[in-house]
Amino acid sequence: MATNIAAGADTRLWNAEADEHDPISARTFGFWLYLLSDALIFAGLFASYAVLDNSFNAAGGPIAAQIVHPLEGLIQTFAVLGSVLSYSLATVAMKKGSRTGVIHGILGAIVLSGVFLGIGAHDLLGLIAQGDGPDRSGFLSIFFTLIVSHGLHMVFGILWMLVMLVQVARTGFNQDVVGRLLNLRLFWQFQASVWVCVYVYVYLLGGYN
Amino acid sequence: MSNHLSDPLAHAEVQQARVGRYFVAFFSSSILMLLAFVVSQQQKLSYVQFAEALGALLLFTLISQAALFFGLNLSREQIWKSVSLALVVPLFIVTIGFTVVVFASLYARTMIPTDAMSMQPTLLQ
Amino acid sequence: MLVNLQGPWSPLIGRLSLASIPYDNPILVTTFIIVALLGAVIVAAVLYYRKLPYLWREWITTVDHKKIGVMYIILGLVMLFRGFADGALIRTQQVMADGPDSTGVLGATHGFIPPFHFDQIYSAHGTLMLIFAATPLVAGLGNLIVPLQIGARDMAFPYLNATSFWLTASGAALVMISLFVGEFSSAAWVGLMPFSELPFNPGVGVDYWMWAIQISSIATTFNAINIIATIVKMRAPGMTWFRLPVFCWATLSTNIIGLTAFPILTVALTLLGADRYLGTHFFTVGMGGNFMLYVNLFWLWGHPEVYFLMLPAFGIFSEIIPTFSEKPLFGYLAMVGATFAIAGIGWVVWAHHFFTMGMGPGLNGYFSAATMLVGIPTGVKSFNWLFTMYRGRLTFATPMLWALCGLVLLLIGGLTGMMLAIPVINYTVHDSVFVVAHFHCMVLVIGAALFAAVTYWWPKVFGFKLDERNGQYFFWTFVIASLVLFGGMFALGFMGETRRLDYLYDPSWKPLLILEEAGIFLYFVSIYYFFKMLYVSLRDQVPAEADAWGTSRTLEWLTHTPVPFYNFAVTPQIHALDELAWRRSHGLEKAQPEQYVPIHLPNNTAIPVIIGALSFAFGFGLIWRIWWLAGFALLGMIVAVIIRSFDPNKGYILSAEDIAKMESNTGSASVIAEQPVRLPLSEVEAH
Repeated sequence: MATNIAAGADTRLWNAEADEHDPISARTFGFWLYLLSDALIFAGLFASYAVLDNSFNAAGGPIAAQIVHPLEGLIQTFAVLGSVLSYSLATVAMKKGSRTGVIHGILGAIVLSGVFLGIGAHDLLGLIAQGDGPDRSGFLSIFFTLIVSHGLHMVFGILWMLVMLVQVARTGFNQDVVGRLLNLRLFWQFQASVWVCVYVYVYLLGGYN
Repeated sequence: MSNHLSDPLAHAEVQQARVGRYFVAFFSSSILMLLAFVVSQQQKLSYVQFAEALGALLLFTLISQAALFFGLNLSREQIWKSVSLALVVPLFIVTIGFTVVVFASLYARTMIPTDAMSMQPTLLQ
Repeated sequence: MLVNLQGPWSPLIGRLSLASIPYDNPILVTTFIIVALLGAVIVAAVLYYRKLPYLWREWITTVDHKKIGVMYIILGLVMLFRGFADGALIRTQQVMADGPDSTGVLGATHGFIPPFHFDQIYSAHGTLMLIFAATPLVAGLGNLIVPLQIGARDMAFPYLNATSFWLTASGAALVMISLFVGEFSSAAWVGLMPFSELPFNPGVGVDYWMWAIQISSIATTFNAINIIATIVKMRAPGMTWFRLPVFCWATLSTNIIGLTAFPILTVALTLLGADRYLGTHFFTVGMGGNFMLYVNLFWLWGHPEVYFLMLPAFGIFSEIIPTFSEKPLFGYLAMVGATFAIAGIGWVVWAHHFFTMGMGPGLNGYFSAATMLVGIPTGVKSFNWLFTMYRGRLTFATPMLWALCGLVLLLIGGLTGMMLAIPVINYTVHDSVFVVAHFHCMVLVIGAALFAAVTYWWPKVFGFKLDERNGQYFFWTFVIASLVLFGGMFALGFMGETRRLDYLYDPSWKPLLILEEAGIFLYFVSIYYFFKMLYVSLRDQVPAEADAWGTSRTLEWLTHTPVPFYNFAVTPQIHALDELAWRRSHGLEKAQPEQYVPIHLPNNTAIPVIIGALSFAFGFGLIWRIWWLAGFALLGMIVAVIIRSFDPNKGYILSAEDIAKMESNTGSASVIAEQPVRLPLSEVEAH
């Protein structure tokens, strides 16, 4: 160990090259941490669903088996998985540096998520129209909240995709845009995982009779 | 701050995208969900068995999505994501599972029994 | 309207009306006059000394972690005073309203505060102290110290950092404005259910409480993301995981709690909000609501939250005690392990806050045992601190005194906590002031740690130490006040005094209440010494060395004092745990880099403060049901974020010559010094 301060001493005290860190990795890691916290929001919602999913909390109104449509839910599942596939293929196009590929992938993702949201909205609006809205009972409150929370995530994701369409077309693949496209991929894949949990738990398990 | 990468597209997370993996992910998730749907329409299982079957299918779906869509593994680029996910998974079990356990006997202890109590099967027995 | 709102509502100003302003309440009118005068004096001073551009450029639009940390701490201290004022009001009301036959003044039947107003005071006291004093102080210290201790230049996401601060400030502003416009929640800091539902609390009070906490808890989650990413990704070269300072380990585990537990609070408050705004039935009485679900969700967050506040306090003790014992921390690995054990256990014990719900003896037994388990790692920590001091060369400077006081309070609070963990005892003292005294002892541990930290790191940030003599007077009066007040409260708990009483029904409690009031009086004296300490320190400003205490061990003391805004001129290479101590033992602590290199730093930005202001407007609009205001504010926040994403924001380069100049004249680069405008890079220059 060096004991004196001399140029050329074998103990290196300062490291100027260390300033290079990888901003894209830092960014996706930070966003991943956000997704973990978002997953815990859904965990709280699922826990609430577990508590409120019983006859006491249906207050004389419908229980899950009476209002869920597993087949429609299955179609929604295919739609959302297709949307994720489309966006993921967009990132393959990004790997190759193709702006048009990315734009097409994003557009496909938006269209398929529109299908998903359309079916879902039709379902929920139908329930409201027949008097079984979220203000009918505790069970219906959590039913609507869980599904709408997921839907809201999709809406924000679509808004993000629209912004990225503009940025990819305008700026191309600079560091910021690439980082955002990677984060959006994580987000989009995440919401599909959440949907799969919702489908199994609410639509299939709830539909048991 | 930092020096910028010479080419952001050369970054490992961009390069990890793979057409094949994504299609496999799509098909495996879709097939597993279709299977879950078929099981639910069969109506042959008891509630507990049904819940277990669905749980297993869901678990496989999530694992396949993690590996195939997210591309999580133990490589240097992905390790922190994988580790942080692994550390948080027990918290999902605690939040949902413990809540179910905490509330499981609550109605039996605190509510006046009515017909409604046996109308539908629920995780809170 | 989806819900049945009492009172008038207009599309333009929602539920706001002249009647919302409590001009007939003498206490509030007096408070308003004092606050308005203070505010006018401050604004006048800023304008007179022409400091507005300086404030805007250097503080309000900053993304520098140190300035943000300082602002967090200032916010926390101001809220601490307001929270203390509320506490003093509670004490005084109770000592005056000491029996069912006690008289009342100022319109109150007993004491001087009517019941509805009193409820708001204790609700504000709890909310302010925990969410707006302790949390910002803890967050501010983490922001300030962690990047310095790991040798980084800033946090991983500086822009997010600034946004977190302004969102927190917005939440605090909502609580403050509830004093003068409308009312605050009367449903306690936890939101007693179903009392906080619309039929029982039809005013705007609960809404103020709900949105203030919701906005600031989102900020806390963002801050958690930031600190975790910083510690994982931005450590200096050579700083392996087991060379990380204990304070950073503590902050890491704290923010893992913050990341994972705060979302549950978001859920609890969102569901309550849905009940109050959309007419859902999550927690209502009837129609299928289950208000124990709220209690479950709230405490799922609430228990990890107290560890969120406590673990940094432990981390602070682990930095201060070695410094003032001139010895390395005893059992580094055990301390790190104990920290994570506490965090992990803290996640699975929340139901001990509602033993009386009726889970059944089996579950009560589990939660009891699990709760008591946390005593083991805490005990490990306490003994390790003692072993650190054993055979050390102790200096009883003010930070060390605070740390030692913290250990004593930890013992008292912890032992009473063990008592409370036993369901049989808990059933008897649930909702009595015994519980209040227990958790006040624990938050005083946090308070002691925070005062210790502020005193300890003050010279690093500002370049001079706080006055020792007045600091010690502040310390002693504060500690004696605490022991007097809460010692009395433990006794009252055993005598049967319940919580949240606006008048006491047993006059035999009077002597102990007087004792508690003496404690309040002593707190006022300690506040006098606190301000005197600040005044004397600012007046004298005795310059401090880089290593101000002489015996510090960690990396942040390697920077200049006051620390320059770029932290280290050249990133240090790390060789050991307690890097500064290692360098000192090799005679290298005064070494400076021979060559400077240009540094790339981020630009200031006004977007965070705009988002903060818009979040305030959003909250205010939702509270008063002014839908257009809330809608535009929400839209504005989204638009601001999108606009910012189009900004190439390449930052600026600090040249090697500029750095050399500032290194030889360290005051010129300090946190409070004004910097010349440095132009942002163009897209071309950045590559």
